Amino acid sequence: MRTSDIRRHINLKKSGRWAVQGNGANLSDPEINEIVEGCRRGDREAFRAIYEAYKDKVYSIALYFFHGDQTEAGDATQQVFLKLLTSIGSFRGDSEFSTWLHRLVVNTCLDGSRRSKSRERFAEPEEMARIADPASQGEDMERQEVAGRVQAALASLPPKLRMPVVLRHFEELSYAEMGEALQCSAGTVASRLNKGHKMLAEKLAKLREVATRR
Amino acid sequence: MKMPDEKPPLGPIEPGQLPLVKAPDTIWRSIEAALDKKPEPRRTSLFAAWQWAAASVLVIGAVGAWYATRPELPSWQVSRLEGSAAVDKIKVGEWLQTDGNSRARITVGDIGVVDVEPNTRIRLVAASPSEHRLTLARGEISATVSAPPRLFLVDTPASTAVDLGCAYKIKTDQSGDGILRVTSGWVSLEWKGRESLVPAGANCRTRPGTGPGTPYFDDAPEALQQALSAFDFGKGGEESLGTVLAQARVRDTLSLWHVLSRVEPRDRVRVVDRMVDLVPLPAGVARDKALQLDPATLKSWREELAWKW
Repeated sequence: MRTSDIRRHINLKKSGRWAVQGNGANLSDPEINEIVEGCRRGDREAFRAIYEAYKDKVYSIALYFFHGDQTEAGDATQQVFLKLLTSIGSFRGDSEFSTWLHRLVVNTCLDGSRRSKSRERFAEPEEMARIADPASQGEDMERQEVAGRVQAALASLPPKLRMPVVLRHFEELSYAEMGEALQCSAGTVASRLNKGHKMLAEKLAKLREVATRR
Repeated sequence: MKMPDEKPPLGPIEPGQLPLVKAPDTIWRSIEAALDKKPEPRRTSLFAAWQWAAASVLVIGAVGAWYATRPELPSWQVSRLEGSAAVDKIKVGEWLQTDGNSRARITVGDIGVVDVEPNTRIRLVAASPSEHRLTLARGEISATVSAPPRLFLVDTPASTAVDLGCAYKIKTDQSGDGILRVTSGWVSLEWKGRESLVPAGANCRTRPGTGPGTPYFDDAPEALQQALSAFDFGKGGEESLGTVLAQARVRDTLSLWHVLSRVEPRDRVRVVDRMVDLVPLPAGVARDKALQLDPATLKSWREELAWKW
């Protein structure tokens, strides 16, 4: 495939693994290999194609991980793709490209979280809803309120539990694949997810209670 | 017992409660800027294994020597103006963030100062003799700089403010929208070849994905300011252009000069006619060349008009 075809190619793909919510590209392994090879050669077009395919997913994971902080999420997204370009040589194709990319996202977000620990802040439900869904202002207040509560509850989870929950929401990964991205065993993933989901359900119940009392 | 191939449950989050968020265009621009500064990655196949080994030994030695004698990263001094500033300097690559009650002052080498207002996040990108560069992620700064043009630059999510010898304030919000106000001298706001020249007493709005809008003076009629906003960032079209032309005063030829190169070719005649109504065409500026947007002609015309600004 010529690199000039890559972007067109990606634009044609509108569903699939990275397209759970209508974004990204469903690229077959040979197509991914072609693009990755282009990135290895330092081909800016190939890199742009990868960026276009995965940017929204990477940004969304970072945004929900960083409590809706758009600056942190933007920085993390930038770092993920710069790291991708500089370390693409180490991607040997043993695992899926998406798993490898998830690992970059996870490492970058957790590093960022460690660095900015001192100034971590917790977004209000209304603020989270506005950040996540700015276009729907006033359209469906109830739905937006519920989404805001979910996002604020998620933001209050410790980073180690928050990341598997966010990752699971955006990606249809198996326990093993999540383990690879999070660099832990499938059992640890199961335990963290279970704990994260339980804490989330409790926090949501509390937030729901507060909202009904208002 | 969970099977590794099994997919974990979604938990209490229902579909749509964490919607996918579109990555802002500013991210790609900052990636491109970083790429343009970095050398292209080299292909590993260019090196044989033994060359790598020899190179590694040399690199380890060189890194050791460098580490022992390494110079400090360039940094600028930071002082507290209000609140609780916890740092006394900012190094290249570092961020400075003020909270809602703090203000800080950064001493920009020996060319000036930048006052950092509350709730601002700013990064020192370069502090070399040929480039003094900051990135303003959000918040507000006031810069007072006395230096050769184009030495001091501030990147924002929507454009880059290039100092042409001046003092100014620049503000950017969470969405990346910004506004520049120049208090002395000139500032050039630039984004992807689009440029707005902003003199003292004038403002210029800027938006991610569009870049700088049309500059206007503080005292420009409200209707003119609103029409410019619609012209630059909305779907103002014909109506907003009509208002801009009708409301413009002599001083507002600053705005009209910028509008001239941003209207559809068919509308250029209207803009030139209005500018000439307000200030007669100076000698040496040919109308037909102005209509063709000849750069030298536009520059001469701007320099003549600037006496009225």
